Amino acid sequence: MFEAHTRSRYGEGTPLEILLAQVALGNREAFDCLYRGTANKLFGICLRVLAERSEAEDTLQDVFTTVWRKAAQFDATRASATTWLAMIARNKAIDRLRSMPARQARAALELALDVEDPTASPPQQAQTASDRARLERCLELLEPRRRSLVRAAFFDGSTYEELATRVQAPLGSIKSWIRRSLLQLRQCLDP
Amino acid sequence: MSSPTLPPEDTDPVGSEPPSDELLAGEFVLGVLDPTQHRNLRGRMDSDRVFTNQVAAWERRFAPWLSDIEPVEAPAQVWTRICQRMGWNDREPAERSLWRSLRFWRGVAVLSAIVAVVAIWTSLLRAPRPPAVAGQPPAQPSGPPPGQAEAGVKTVTPLEHDDGTPGWLASVDRSRGTVLVLPVPAPADPQGRVPELWLIPPGKAPRSLGLVSTNQSHTVTVPADVRGALVAGSVLAVTLEPPAGVPHAVPTGPIIAKGAIRS
Repeated sequence: MFEAHTRSRYGEGTPLEILLAQVALGNREAFDCLYRGTANKLFGICLRVLAERSEAEDTLQDVFTTVWRKAAQFDATRASATTWLAMIARNKAIDRLRSMPARQARAALELALDVEDPTASPPQQAQTASDRARLERCLELLEPRRRSLVRAAFFDGSTYEELATRVQAPLGSIKSWIRRSLLQLRQCLDP
Repeated sequence: MSSPTLPPEDTDPVGSEPPSDELLAGEFVLGVLDPTQHRNLRGRMDSDRVFTNQVAAWERRFAPWLSDIEPVEAPAQVWTRICQRMGWNDREPAERSLWRSLRFWRGVAVLSAIVAVVAIWTSLLRAPRPPAVAGQPPAQPSGPPPGQAEAGVKTVTPLEHDDGTPGWLASVDRSRGTVLVLPVPAPADPQGRVPELWLIPPGKAPRSLGLVSTNQSHTVTVPADVRGALVAGSVLAVTLEPPAGVPHAVPTGPIIAKGAIRS
C-alpha cells in the first residue's frame, strides 16, 4: 500500500514497522523517511473524508505530529504499520470533520443508492487485493441500504443520532441495522 | 425523503440492549457512538488490553477500505509546517544517532499493576533464604539480616512493554555490579531474533549487557567500566536483535521493554 522510497540509509523498502520503532526513539531520519513513504497515501485518506484541501493539509500535519508522539504505542502484534497509520489518518480526519460547523448541513443520505466509491484505486498488492475482495464479498451479503449506512458511518464520521436524521429513520432502527451489519461482517470475515 | 420501510427483524431488541464489548469495539471503530461514549472508550483503551485488541481487530476488518484509496501528492508546505511545529530547523541534519535522544525514555508512568508486581517480587526477595545445605557453602554472601533489608543496595526496575505490562523485572545490585533479570514468560520472536539487554546512562550511548532469557531468571554481570552507570536515571532496555554477534556494539532492532533505574 505504501512505497517506502528513500534516499536515507534506511534504503528502499525498509519496513514501516522498523521505521516506526526508530521514530519511537526520536529518530528524525526515520521520521523523514516514514513521511516520504506514506504522506501521499495518508493525504489521499484525509481528502477522502474532508473534501476541502486546506482542511486535509492541516489534518495531515496533525497525523504526523501524532505519529511522532505515539510511535511507541504501535504494537506490531495488533496491526500492520499500514493499518495503524491509515487509521490514524482516517480518525484525525473525522475528528476535524466533526469540529467543522458545516457539518450540521450534512447531506441527506439516500440509502437506496449504493454508489461505488469514486476514490477507490485498483489494489496494488496481492494481500491487499484479497483482503479487499473478502471485505467486498462480505459487504455484498448485507442488505444494500445497510451497506451504504455502514460506509457512510465509516467515511463521514456520522454518529447514530446523525445517521437517524440523515436517513429519517428511528434511532433504534439505525442502531439495530448497524449492529446487525457489524455482527454479520465479523462472522463473514472471521468465521 | 420518506421513511424507509423497516425489515421485520428490526423490531427485535438488538438495537436497544447494551451491546457486547466486541460489538461496542466495532461501533467505536465505525465512529457511530456519541462523543462522550466515544471519549470514554478511548480512555478505556489505555488500561483494557482485551478491548484494545478488539478495536484493533475491527480496524483490520475495515482497513481494506482505506488501502483502496488513491494516493494524492501531499503539498510540500505540509512537511515544512510539521518541522516548524516540532521546533526543528529544517536545514539541520536529521539526528544520526538513534539513541542520542532519551526523550522517549523519560517520564514513563509506572502503572499501579507494575507496582503491585514489583511489591510482591520485592517481598519475595526479602523472605528469609533457606539454610545452606551442609558442606555446600552458599553461592553468594548472605543478604542483610532480616529487619535491615530496607538498607540493602538492590533496586527493582520493571522493564515494561509499551502497553505498560511488565516484560522483565531487573534487580540491580550495585555493589556486585550485577543485574538479576526475571522474565515474565513470553513467546519467542517469530522472526528468530533474541532479546538483548542494554544499559543506557543519561545522555550516553547504550552498552550491551548481553542476552536475556524470556523464560527463566538469571544474573547478568555488568562490565566493570560501566558499573558506575548502575544508578538512578540510567535506563535498562531490551531490544530484539539477530542472534549472531551478541553482545552487539549498537542496537538495531525494536525496543520491546524498558525501564529507568530508580533510586
